[in-house]
Parts: sequence; structure tokens; C-alpha cells
Amino acid sequence: MKKFDVIIIGGGHNGLVAACVLSKKGKKVLVIEKNEKLGGLANYAESLSYISKEVIDELNIKIEKNVSENFVSALSEDLNHTVLKINDSKNIEFLQTSASNSDQKNFINLINKYNLFARTLRSFMFKRPPRVKSGSRSDIWQLFSMGFKVRRLGKKNMRELLRVIGLNIADDLEDNIESNTLKGLMSNEAVIGTNLGARSPGSILNLLYNQATNNSLFRINKFNTNTFLNIIENICKKNNVEIQTNKTVEKINILNQNVNSVLLNTGEVIETSAIISNTDPKTSYLELVGASNLDTDFIRRTKNYRTKGTVAKVNIEFESEIKIKNLDSSYSSGKFVYAPDIKYIEHAFNDNKFNKLSLNPCLEFYINKNQLSANVYFIPYLINSSHDKEKILSNVKLILEKFIEENQIISSIIETPNDIENKYNICGGHWSHGDMEIDQLLMMRPFYGSSQYSTPINGLYLCSAGTHPGGGITGINGINAAKQLLKVQGNG
Amino acid sequence: MDNTLSFTKPLLETPFHKRTFEACYNNDWYRWAGYKIAREYSNTELEYTSMRNTAGVLDITPMHKYDIKGKDAIKFVDKLVTRDVTQIKPNQVMYIIWCNEDGNVIDDGTVFCFDKNHLRIFCAERNLNWFSDTAIGFDVEVKDVSDSIAALAFQGPLSCKILHLLNVKNIENLKPFFFDNFDLNGSKVTISRTGFSGDLGYEIWCNPEEAINVWDSLFKFNRDYKILPAGMNALEMVRIEAGFIQPNADFMSAEQALRPNRMRTPFELGMGWLVDLNKNYFTGKRILNDLKKKPLTKKLVGLDIQGDKPAIGSVLYDKNRKEIGIVTAGMWSPSLKSNIAFGYVDNDHMKIGSKVFAEIYHPEELEYKKIWAECLVVKKQFFNPQRRHKVPADI
Repeated sequence: MKKFDVIIIGGGHNGLVAACVLSKKGKKVLVIEKNEKLGGLANYAESLSYISKEVIDELNIKIEKNVSENFVSALSEDLNHTVLKINDSKNIEFLQTSASNSDQKNFINLINKYNLFARTLRSFMFKRPPRVKSGSRSDIWQLFSMGFKVRRLGKKNMRELLRVIGLNIADDLEDNIESNTLKGLMSNEAVIGTNLGARSPGSILNLLYNQATNNSLFRINKFNTNTFLNIIENICKKNNVEIQTNKTVEKINILNQNVNSVLLNTGEVIETSAIISNTDPKTSYLELVGASNLDTDFIRRTKNYRTKGTVAKVNIEFESEIKIKNLDSSYSSGKFVYAPDIKYIEHAFNDNKFNKLSLNPCLEFYINKNQLSANVYFIPYLINSSHDKEKILSNVKLILEKFIEENQIISSIIETPNDIENKYNICGGHWSHGDMEIDQLLMMRPFYGSSQYSTPINGLYLCSAGTHPGGGITGINGINAAKQLLKVQGNG
Repeated sequence: MDNTLSFTKPLLETPFHKRTFEACYNNDWYRWAGYKIAREYSNTELEYTSMRNTAGVLDITPMHKYDIKGKDAIKFVDKLVTRDVTQIKPNQVMYIIWCNEDGNVIDDGTVFCFDKNHLRIFCAERNLNWFSDTAIGFDVEVKDVSDSIAALAFQGPLSCKILHLLNVKNIENLKPFFFDNFDLNGSKVTISRTGFSGDLGYEIWCNPEEAINVWDSLFKFNRDYKILPAGMNALEMVRIEAGFIQPNADFMSAEQALRPNRMRTPFELGMGWLVDLNKNYFTGKRILNDLKKKPLTKKLVGLDIQGDKPAIGSVLYDKNRKEIGIVTAGMWSPSLKSNIAFGYVDNDHMKIGSKVFAEIYHPEELEYKKIWAECLVVKKQFFNPQRRHKVPADI
């Protein structure tokens, strides 16, 4: 029987990053991945808009930036599209728009405001979140410094941050902007991948949070995801991390509240004293650990953790190169957003609340010659039924027809949240392994009793997007979880 | 009964209501889980006396009853409670408590084992939510069967004799904490040798249709043996003498307490003997393991109080008049001829034989008399007669 120092369940980017950190410290690490290809859900995003300094320093990597210009086009039905050019988070310009000059100015001001707040959030977001009432000096110091950083915004800005942080995005937009297209464009960023509508409280927090993780409001194309994944995979290989693909972990065997071994679907049992689970918290606790090893209160919180996915991915191949009506083809390297106004988003969200498909979903898509890849929302995760994929596709097609010049569809693939759940073992098929809402963030992520990457089981840690700082391809979760493990084992 | 507005709905009547209503001379009703239960039929002391000298009949139908059915029934209960129930045998009853993740007691009750796939838990508070959440991951079905079973507690030194006279076969050989099915004057009933009085006594479980026959049968020999229906007030007296504690009276149920420092661990309640830390994992085990090693800051103890004035609601002090705790339940015990109580005391005074003081405010003709009474810390179980444990029981 083989024995490893640490077994990492799931070869997503966070699992691989954790493997890098641990193997560097001389740990014998095994990564078990369900699919052939490593990277997990990170493969979903073609590009990354930000790789944090923490990750670059920790892994000691160099990664080249994409040089292409970044455009975001908000499509509008009257074909008066709005195109933004994004140089960096502070430098955004309008290339074409139907919005008035004052609207443009207010829009930029709003972005600057959110940028400022997101910077404050980011200053403590990538660290291990403190626990409340733990009594530990480092936790108290961290809480204090979080407060201090918010206070350092100055009186006016701090008040504004505290005013908007619980608000819904629609209110703040309606206070400042008149153009429906701009409102829709901004709302899109606040609600995509969540269970929030534009009028749901907390959508601004989600927007700020995304901006902080991505260092950009519009999730632009700055790094290639595949390059990033290859780099961390190579570090793993260099450090002799054993990677076994096409295998799943069926159960974590626990002896006296300590991890003992894992049971694979192949029947293998591998002994270990530490496990980092990169699966979502619900799967980790309810399926791998098993309810019999956990307190009822804890099971309750696990059960109540909200993981309903809302985004489907649609890949369409056209016969010839895709052209957007009334738009310069030089902008086609960018992102296209179809979320025409707040009301439209709210209606799409309403259907989601009742687990129905939105007849008029919102779209966010990229085109590459004759390929189109779209994120469609809201497509709710369904518990006891399956999706009518034809219907989703025809709804998407109806929207695309409005904007794409006549073209023949050759093939199309659609992945609903249910498909994501099956493919990557993510409960609910949620992008971030759980809603990024105020009660599921920071020290509350995933929930009380499981914060700081630790679990009630000795030797079991979590590193998935279900931990702080949540979703997005940051790798921070992996680094922090690995560091926590090293700290507990006494060689951090 | 089609009225669905709960606030306009009158209290429910138990299957025994026709009889309890006739007997309840005082018309003094107590609300228990939505049911009407007599607080006092005619005279609490008389009812108490019947329970201690002949037998008393209590309607305990509102008690919550949860059926646990399925392959993992025993495993589920074992995960739920602090005691090792894996060795429970059919027809056996176990006294159990269950805690939350912080090791605070939620409730206590009894579990009846019909067979290894079917158990039933009886308890005073509603627990369906807690049980259902505990059942996640186990192959069991938890069902609330409270309304489909009528129940009487039949407690007192003559209880076995009267059941014997009613031709309940072999009842005297039923061991304490066991149950079986019997024929009682033509009604099929389940009888367990359990109860809340700390004396010889039985609990009788039957179909609601059989309720009246069962009730009437018990009073059949009343010409010779004067047994009485007893109300909740009398029950309160016997349970204090017996040393039984009650959620939301002696401690706050962890599921209901709002203030975190109001919850109590089994050790603080003097129920450490019910906590088995060598068994499989159960809710609260991790914390209870740590707590066991730490000294207690407070503990519920029995108090033998000077004088004859009940110390209900009194504050407890040490000899320097420093406040150390409160009394949760107190009474003048007619059987023991002493003034007894349960109270929380601090670490310095939890040893048996310690001395504390109670400040008793005794109302006397519209004025309070303040009594400074010395109390001796004693075992909670004040009353524990031989006949309670005897097999075969006295007939």
C-alpha cells in the first residue's frame, strides 16, 4: 500500500497550486483528478484578467501578458452598440456609444468609485480570513487591520462604501446613469454566476468582490488560462508530485476524527495523514467525509450552504466567420454582453427563482472566427428534472440572430449547471462552489465551523472555491490551504 | 377540526379527555404541546399522596413520540445521543440525552427498541427538526407519531398489583427499563416499566380508540385501592424527589436558548455518567472530550435546605454572601419530611456535603418574610425506594 504525506482530491487549479506549495516544502503529494485533463473548472475560462502578486511570489513563476487590446461591447437592439476599450482598471474609454456625454462621465466615475472600494477589499482579501471570537492574537490583529483599511478610505469614501456595500446594483446605477445599455452592462458584471438579480441586495458587494479578485471590472483577457495551468502543472511535475487522472475518491476514511486513508473508485486504498479537498464543501462533507463523522449542527450548515448554479455554457460553431451587425470587426476580439437593461435582467432572474428556464436569458460571449462561446444566464440548476437543452439553444439562437449577420450553424454544445455538476463533481454546478453573498464570505466561507481552510476532521483541509476568497481563478485558496496545513503540522 | 388558523384553534383534547374532564374538578388546564392536560384535578397534595402510597394515573399523551425506522435505525440513534446504544436489545428502554455541537444538552428522553430496524424516541420537547437533520446520510425514516399513540403513566407502589389484578400476565416480571405487549382488560397495550416518579411505575401506550377502556380499567378496583388521576403539579413534586430534571425548567434546551451562556453541558447537569466518550462519533463528542478535562464552573446539585419554606426561585450564596447560583426547582417533600431543591452552585461548592446559603422570600399574609437558610449539597436523587428496582415487583 502506498503512502503519501498529503493527498489532494481534485486537480483543479487550486489543488495544483496547493500541490506546488506543499511539494516545495518537501512533502510527498498525490493529486487525484476525476477527468483526463487537469484544471477542472478553470478550463471554462479562456483567459484570466489578473494573477495576484501573492501567487506569483509564492510559486515564483513568470507569466506573459497577452498584448491584444481589450474591448467590451454592450449589444443593443437598435444596433447602436456601445464599445469600451479597457486599457487597465483605471483607464477605460468609450469608443462608440449612444449614451450622452454626462452619462459617459458618470459611468467612468462610478467605475472609479468601485475601483477604489475593490482596492480596499483586495488589501485584505488574499490573506487567511480571521476568525471572530477565536481569541487568537493574529485574528484580532487582522480584524483590526481590516477595519483600519476601510477607515483609511477617509470619512466620505468610507461612508459611501458602507452605504453601498449592502445595496443592489440597480439602485446605485439608477442614481447615476440614464442609459439602459450602460446599466445593463454594469449589472451583468454584478449578477453573472450568482443567484442575484440586479435588484437583489448584495449585488454591489458581489461586483466589488469580483473586481477585487480579477483586478478588473469587466474580466478582461490579460493572461491565457492554459498557460497558467501548464506552468503550475510543470512545477508539480518538477517537484515530483504524483498525479493520477481518471480516478475519483469515493470516501475519506476517518479514524477517531483523524483522516486515515482515501478509497478510490478503483477500489484502491491510499493511506495518508493529511488531505486537502478541492471539491466543493457540500461534496467534501456530505459525500466524502460522511454525515456520521460530523455534528448535526454542522450538517445543517452544510445542507443550507447555497450552491445553486445559474450559468450554462453554450459553444456554437458557425459555417463562416462571425460578423456582428453594425460593429467594426476589429472589436471582435473582445467580450460581448447582451443584458439590455435592468428590467430584462430582473425578468431573467425571476424565472431562475422558480427554477424555470429564462425565455429571454442574458448572454455574455466571445467569438473566435467561426466559433462562439457564450455564458448564458439564468439557467437554474435543477434538482429532480433535466433541462430542455433544445429550448435553451433556440432561445440563445433567437437572441444571436438579432446581432449576427446571416450564418449557418454547424454544431453546438451546451453545458448546463447539471452537466457541470456531473463533469466536475461540483454540487449544484455553481461557478464559485457556492453563492458569493455576505453570509458566505470571508470568515463565514463556506460556513461557521469550517473557516480558515480547516475542517472538524483533523488532517482534512479545504482549498476549493468554496473557501475564502471564493471563486475566480486566483489560486489563493490553494496557497492559503497549503499554508494552513503546514502551520498546523508545525513547519509553516 | 377543519379550522386551520392555529391561533383560533382551541387546545386539543387527548383521547382520555372525556374522563380527565369529568375528574378535573378544578377545571385547571395546562398547555402541553397543544393539548389540554390537567394541572390539578382537585388537590395537588392528595394526588401526590396517591402516587406515593397507592398509584396515580397521569395523561402523558402529548409527549412527543418519534418512530425511527430503517436499516440504520440503531446507528442513527447512536450518532444522536451521548450513550452507547449499539448494544440495545429488543424490548429494552434506554434513558438518553442528546447534545448540540458545543456539547450543550438539547433534551432528554427514552428510546424504545422494537427490533434493530425500529426504534422509538419519547421526549418532552419537539425534536423533529433536529432528528431529521441528524438523519441526513443515514438510511432511516424519522416520523412524528405523537398523535397516533395515547399514553398514561401509572405510577405508585400499588401499580403492579392493580395491573396484576387486571390479569395483565406476568407484569411483575417486567424488569425496569424494559417493555412488552400485554392484554389489559381486552385492550392491546404496550407497557413499559418506566416513569417520571422515581417509584415503582409503568407507562401504558395504546391506540387512541382503546384509551377510555384502559383508563376505566385502571380505576376498576378503586373501592379497595383508592387510586387517583394526578395532574402536572403532582408530577412536578414527584419528579423533584426522584431527581429528574426538565428542559426549560432546570436548564434551557440548547435548541431554544438564545443566550449562549444559558446552555448547559451534561457534566454541568450532573449527567456525566450518560456520556460515553469511547463510543463512535456523536454530535458534541469533540467538545465534550475537551470539556471533560476542564473543571466545571457550575453544576446542578441537590440541596437539603434548613427549615420548611420551599426555596423556589431563591438565589444561592456562599458563607461570605457572594452570589454563587440559583435554585431551579424546590419543594417541601411530604415523603421525606425535608425541604429539598435543585440549584446551580459554583466549583467550590459542588462537592457533596458542602454548605451554601439560600435567601428565601416566603410570602406571609401579604408580606414577605426573608429567610437566610443553610443548605447542604446532596445527591439530586432524594427518593429512591427499593421497590422501584425489585424484580418481580410487589403485587
